Amino acid sequence: MNRDRLVILLAEDDDGHAKLIERNLQRAGVVNPIVRVADGQAALQYVRQGSNGHPLLLLLDINLPGLDGIEVLRQLKSDPHTSKLPIIMLTTTDDPREIDRCYQLGCSVYITKPVRYESFVEALQRLGMFLEIVKLPTPPTASAPSPAGPGP
Amino acid sequence: MESKSSRLGWVHTFVLQHLSPEQLAEIIDVTEDGIVTVDSQHRIVLFNRGAARLFGYEPAEVLGQSLNLLIPEQYHQSHPKDMEAFAQGPVDSRRMGSRRTVSGRRKDGSVFPAEVTISKLQHGEQLWLTAIIRDAAERKRYEDALLRLNLELEERIRQRTAELAERNRQLQQKTDENEMFVYSVSHDLRSPLVNLMGFSEELELAVRKIAELLGDPRLPAEVIQPALTLLHADVRESLTYIRTAVERLSRIIDGLLRLSRAGRVEYRWQTVEVGQIAQRVVDAHRTVINQRQAAVAIQALPPAWGDPDAIEQILANLVSNALEALPPSGGGQITIGCQPADSEGYHTYYVADNGCGIDPSLLPRLFQPFQQQSASNRKGEGIGLAIVRRVIERLGGTISVESTLQQGTTFRFTLPGVPPSGGSPASNLPVLS
Repeated sequence: MNRDRLVILLAEDDDGHAKLIERNLQRAGVVNPIVRVADGQAALQYVRQGSNGHPLLLLLDINLPGLDGIEVLRQLKSDPHTSKLPIIMLTTTDDPREIDRCYQLGCSVYITKPVRYESFVEALQRLGMFLEIVKLPTPPTASAPSPAGPGP
Repeated sequence: MESKSSRLGWVHTFVLQHLSPEQLAEIIDVTEDGIVTVDSQHRIVLFNRGAARLFGYEPAEVLGQSLNLLIPEQYHQSHPKDMEAFAQGPVDSRRMGSRRTVSGRRKDGSVFPAEVTISKLQHGEQLWLTAIIRDAAERKRYEDALLRLNLELEERIRQRTAELAERNRQLQQKTDENEMFVYSVSHDLRSPLVNLMGFSEELELAVRKIAELLGDPRLPAEVIQPALTLLHADVRESLTYIRTAVERLSRIIDGLLRLSRAGRVEYRWQTVEVGQIAQRVVDAHRTVINQRQAAVAIQALPPAWGDPDAIEQILANLVSNALEALPPSGGGQITIGCQPADSEGYHTYYVADNGCGIDPSLLPRLFQPFQQQSASNRKGEGIGLAIVRRVIERLGGTISVESTLQQGTTFRFTLPGVPPSGGSPASNLPVLS
């Protein structure tokens, strides 16, 4: 259905957080490859190189060393080549100030770490992404087929 | 002459009966104040010893001389005119000089300030003028010192006021810095906390999996039993403690974040219907109110000048605290009311309960962060009242508490009823108490 397999780019400097997020996503059934970068510069570089033609979903930590998540978000949103890239911001708090800054930069989707299955699915839906694009099985608690809307 | 002698009649008679002219002359001569009398041509006709001491002249040197001898040169024109005006005027005696002192000139040419009173006496064809002269240097020194002191005092007050304003500004900056510091520290603490929370969940998952594996019947019982004991009694218990501690840590950090946010969030200044907000707060607590069978009364509450969210935050905290203090068995009462505005237009709102009260030893630090009421009442992290105080101070008010054990607690807080004078709303910066 979707030949170009979507790659999840995880920009996260804390090894523990990265490990927790990867485990949570994998446990939730996400089988897409997860590429991890530890700072904002590397995240921008990866996105601009075009990720070998794969579509991308960026999980972007707000607090990154050097070029922080907000700045990465600003640069990606202001560049027409990358402005459509789906981005989920990762925060440690639901501090309204941080959330506001993301909203102002055109990103309304954020997850509080460590990323849990329900919040991840909700974030995907808010991005208008279908669960089939991100390879998810049926939710672990339900035996019914995928709860996602009609596929592409 | 007739009228004068009749007015002075009794003195005249008394003096003439009791004193000889010599005695009279002696009295005049020994008087400490200088006495100088001049005739119509302003020639000196009397010059006592007091005057001699003041001016440094022997009486013999000045008698018959012009009065100008005793007056600084710059007044030689004006002084005789003043004297003439007085001589023609209706009053018999007055103090000289438009200010309080005039100047005299000593024999050595030096000038001194003098207090002078002048009086006139018709003497045959002549009008005699008599001046009583006192050195005013001492008094002038005191006056000057007093004036200087006053100026110094005013200057010192100006300086102190400026210093206070500066101190206030510095304190304000300190508060801002502290809040920023608390914010960034608590924010940074969140990051390791995510690891602690996340990985203790991971461990719990692993424990569950191991427990499943230990259910394998192929395993010998002597392995399964001790392993299960280890898993449940040891690992699980440890994990429970870790989880409890992590959750507590999380609440503390959240509390700190909320406290620092309370000092920094921007206010939307407006006239706030406190009564409506109180009703909303009470409605939001309806479940607990019903559980506790409590009676909540909202009296007439005047509007306040402030931020609606901030005022709701205050009332929600105080009402929630009051409910917490009520007996669970019922009979609890909460009153939200207001006292009449004071002269500066501040309203005093209050939230009163008839609950368990607060231990007097806890009252002094009640509004500081992390002050628990008691070990049995540690639902929150003791940050609520610290936030309430911060918010009230930013709104320009103050908060106080009155409490008696087993009888109840009343929290009173003031809020301005109208915008501060000057038109513009109070600054968004926090204000000091």
